[in-house]
Amino acid sequence: MSFREKSAWISMLSMSGIYGLYFWSVIHAGPRAGGFHFGGLLETIIALVVVQIVLTTAVAIFTPREAKAPRDERDKLIELRAMRVAYAGLATSVALACFFGAFNPPIVFNTNSLLFILVTAEIMRSACQIIQYRRGA
Amino acid sequence: MGAIRNEIRRLRFEHGEMTQQELAEKIKVTRQTVNAIEQGKYSPSLEAAFRISAVFGKPLESVFHYSQEE
Repeated sequence: MSFREKSAWISMLSMSGIYGLYFWSVIHAGPRAGGFHFGGLLETIIALVVVQIVLTTAVAIFTPREAKAPRDERDKLIELRAMRVAYAGLATSVALACFFGAFNPPIVFNTNSLLFILVTAEIMRSACQIIQYRRGA
Repeated sequence: MGAIRNEIRRLRFEHGEMTQQELAEKIKVTRQTVNAIEQGKYSPSLEAAFRISAVFGKPLESVFHYSQEE
């Protein structure tokens, strides 16, 4: 498994786990809790950054040569394809949000819903990268 | 749908059993990319294909073959 693939695994698992906990706490708190918890989100982002730095550093220590090597043409192609899939998911979700917002009374997506769309797109990007690395390209 | 096949594995063997890592370093890609090219899972760019041919001192068509039928 290449360093880039390991990085994609770290990104997907850490985002799924840490944002999963955040969204679980938001759902658990219920709509009366105010919906958006900036403090909770800040803690989540800090936890995500710390976990990703620690895990990526650990992987880089064990495979220093691969970690130092720049992305090659296959890495770039995989990244572009994954970005295209994630963008399609993101654009579709935002279009749906606009559609539901046009109702009267509008079904407005709150900040957490938009954050969920963004996080899901990012997880999709990492998942697509992993699938392509597993396939070969 | 066409398929690009290659002789990289045989050529590595003929060049002192060159490892995938050694070839990867010469053409500036990762070992995993050389492995994917060798197995026909990834078609390299024209530039990478020329670099591979240059490493083995062979013309491009001796290293890569294109067949129109899969």
